[in-house]
Amino acid sequence: MIHVFLFLPMLASLLLMITPVRWREEVAGFAAAATLGIGLWMWGAGGAALFSVGWIPALGVTYSVALDGVSLLLALITALMTFVAIIYTARRIHNPGTMLSLILAMETGLLGIYAARDFVLFYVFFEDALIPALLMLAIYGKTHRMAALIKFGAYTLLGSMLMLVSIIGYKALGGSPSFALSDLIANPVKGAAQTWLYLGFLAAMAVKLPLFPLHAWLPAYHEQNHDSGVADVMGTLYKVGAYGLFRFGVTLFPDASLELRPVLMALAAFTAIYAAWVAFHQTDWKRLLAYAGLSHMGLVGLGIFSLNETAMIGALYLLAFQNVYTGALFLAAGMVQERVGSLSTRVGGLMTQAPILSGVTMSLWFASIAVPGLAGFIGEFSVLLGAYQVSPWLAFIAGLSTIAAAVYALSAYQTTYWQARPLGAIRVLDLQHTEWLVLGAPLAVAIFFGVYSGPALNLIQPVVRALIGGGA
Amino acid sequence: MMQLPDVSLLPMLPILLVLLGAVAATVLGFTLHRRSVAVLAIITLLLSAVSLVPLWNRGLSAFNGSLQADNPALALAFVLLLGGALTLLVSLDTAYRARLSFPEFDAMLLYALSGTLIIAFAGDLITLLIGLEVMSLSGYVLVTLQDSRRSDESGLKYFLLGATGSAILIYGIALTYGATGSLNFAGIASAVSGLQTLNQPLLTAGAVLLLCGFGFKVALAPFHQWTPDVYSGAPTVVSLFLSTVVKVAAFAGLLRVFGGALLHAPGWAAALAVLTAATLVVGNLAAMFQQNFKRLLAYSAVAQTGFLALTLLGRPEQGGPALSYYLLVYTLTTAAALAVVAALQRSEAGLEINDMRGLYYRHPGYAVALAICLASLAGLPPFAGFMAKYMAFQVAFQNGYAWVAVIAALSSIAAFVYYMRVAALMFMPDRTPAREYNGVRPATTFSVALGVAAITALGILPNLAYGWVAYPDIWTRLAGT
Repeated sequence: MIHVFLFLPMLASLLLMITPVRWREEVAGFAAAATLGIGLWMWGAGGAALFSVGWIPALGVTYSVALDGVSLLLALITALMTFVAIIYTARRIHNPGTMLSLILAMETGLLGIYAARDFVLFYVFFEDALIPALLMLAIYGKTHRMAALIKFGAYTLLGSMLMLVSIIGYKALGGSPSFALSDLIANPVKGAAQTWLYLGFLAAMAVKLPLFPLHAWLPAYHEQNHDSGVADVMGTLYKVGAYGLFRFGVTLFPDASLELRPVLMALAAFTAIYAAWVAFHQTDWKRLLAYAGLSHMGLVGLGIFSLNETAMIGALYLLAFQNVYTGALFLAAGMVQERVGSLSTRVGGLMTQAPILSGVTMSLWFASIAVPGLAGFIGEFSVLLGAYQVSPWLAFIAGLSTIAAAVYALSAYQTTYWQARPLGAIRVLDLQHTEWLVLGAPLAVAIFFGVYSGPALNLIQPVVRALIGGGA
Repeated sequence: MMQLPDVSLLPMLPILLVLLGAVAATVLGFTLHRRSVAVLAIITLLLSAVSLVPLWNRGLSAFNGSLQADNPALALAFVLLLGGALTLLVSLDTAYRARLSFPEFDAMLLYALSGTLIIAFAGDLITLLIGLEVMSLSGYVLVTLQDSRRSDESGLKYFLLGATGSAILIYGIALTYGATGSLNFAGIASAVSGLQTLNQPLLTAGAVLLLCGFGFKVALAPFHQWTPDVYSGAPTVVSLFLSTVVKVAAFAGLLRVFGGALLHAPGWAAALAVLTAATLVVGNLAAMFQQNFKRLLAYSAVAQTGFLALTLLGRPEQGGPALSYYLLVYTLTTAAALAVVAALQRSEAGLEINDMRGLYYRHPGYAVALAICLASLAGLPPFAGFMAKYMAFQVAFQNGYAWVAVIAALSSIAAFVYYMRVAALMFMPDRTPAREYNGVRPATTFSVALGVAAITALGILPNLAYGWVAYPDIWTRLAGT
């Protein structure tokens, strides 16, 4: 079943190319829904156990996949947001065949990242998610996309290539018979070599996370993407850096993680506060969201790097649900753009004509700035609680970013949705048709898991416990 | 009765078939139309490829080991024949436009191909040299065959630098012979293991000169400077041939000499590591600044040489499989990419980078195919280029050349930038009317489709090709016995 789950979107993506134009939206929607359905079914069945066969036996590369708690949660969120993005794309983008195809292709890459239990397979999926992202930007981007594209690609590949060398190095120096995660853990690399390899691995993950100073691609990437925000939803799902650090970084490089902990935590805390500061000065919703996401990722990084159980659980919780509400916020920004033709944060007065859109957006922002009762709070609070036990000062500095978040989010919200509608401005429509579902479903998830965190924690906690117990 | 020398024809069969085809093309060219000759040539290559099958795993040799039909030779011969066949297929459509449509083209191509096969089968330095010269001389003619100023200039440049390379190579052969007293690879290998210290400097000098000579042929920096000019000045079909078949053959020679005969000789590995690193940096950085796509592909060929050379840094039982897999993938990818250029270009200068804008909306099939080729060259999974690069990195890393692997990784970023700039431009909307040559090109389309399908399949299931060569013991006897 797990293989169907992983490759159904890719198959559907290829199938779309030969599907008649009028059926494409239905096929894509069905594929995304079926993937989500299979995911939920697997959740009910308790995940998927490890499946491993040789892929290139001569080189020790295996096809090993599994979906345990954390992976399953992130995969489910990915499937949910892909479904939402597909629904929205079908309505918003004219002749959406190519975009739908790219979204589905990317879904396979992302699900694969979460399922992979082989280092090389992880790399393959990691890169596979990149190609559709680049194509989305190339095909649907704005005027200055070329610079954004090259920046994005160059940063990503810088990391990826160093990670590839470090993957190869880990097996060669550790003497593992294969690249399967269990084999690599059984044959660890010790000493200074581990630190060097960790730095190579970290390069890739820090670009994706992204961590200061490797974040420069992110704002340009989001700004130049299509206005609808669909590409950005996939972009936020793309934040697989934290997951990679959790799954491979902490387990394979325990000594190096401990050794570099203060530096990395400091970088993560700085990223959180720095991004929040920059976000405050943005006048473009997409750039603002990009920096807000960056700030949250700083907190996620803080949680992972702290190697503390509470903080790590919080980081993964935040990582999972940040995708939901930030993704929905990107789509909400796209809806505003569709209505008023601008992504500026100074539009003014949307609330009077589109109260539901405004209200839902505000609720999503509340989730984002960690208002209790919404999913963001549980994650951020746990991260800070756990990080405090490791390094009180860094937790304090990072904690300031949650205050800053309220400031930048609410001030931008105020100038867009409140204030007066300018004279002569066009009438703004409220939520229509599927838009209810597109924003409503993520909000429902954010509220549900904000109030009742049990089901998600049950997925995260055992994995983190096992990992901290066995790893660090 | 005349006494025949002790010659077994069976191991030579693949070469003989190609040679026979070349002779037939020369003779029949007087009576037959060029297309018929080309079709005949393709059939010859197919036959030759079929004749490889019964030789597999037999380890036959002829002329007392001067010609070896062992598995590495057969695997590389397959890649060579594939490259030759793809060239001929593309030429069916484009040779007329390129003013190359006369049977001499096919004849020369087959002569060159038989030379490359001789290199792959070589068991001693003289056989190797003969193959190399047959290949090179035919190559010089192929480049100038078009009778245009550009191609004449390329041909002259190719000839002068190629001759220099050959001279250095011959010098290297002489010194190696002086140091070891043997021209036979097996003889050299056994002499190297028990070498007098007196002969050490001579052998080192010989090995390094051989390396430089081959460096000219495969375009290792700093011996690469002819490559961009020749590849971009030659007719595109010929560039396709030079950048695939000729390079594969030169690597086959390198593998025979340095993976077999001189494996344990001192000095060359360090020199090769430095040259490889230089090639990676120079090729990738220079390609970033090209405005002409064909020229970009030429520099990319230099950069790919660097990646290929990584595999020679390792022990042959690891490097050999990686090299042969990489060469196969490289041939398919480069041939498909240049075939797209050949199909779409308006003149033999190829396409400008800016011409690529919006290609997807004018020629969606070619654009997607070219994008896949570029992604594969850049080393993005799931295309075969990734697996090839990964294996090359692994070989270099495992043999203590981690620094070269890191340089390769870093220079890949430059590669990514120039490949993706082109790929992205193709998908950008553009409203200007079509600028490409329009016409029916079934054979070219077929070879592009074949290349793209193969690199996708080999990327997802590398074992389809790698499984054939992944036996370490077939690579430990490269020098013969």
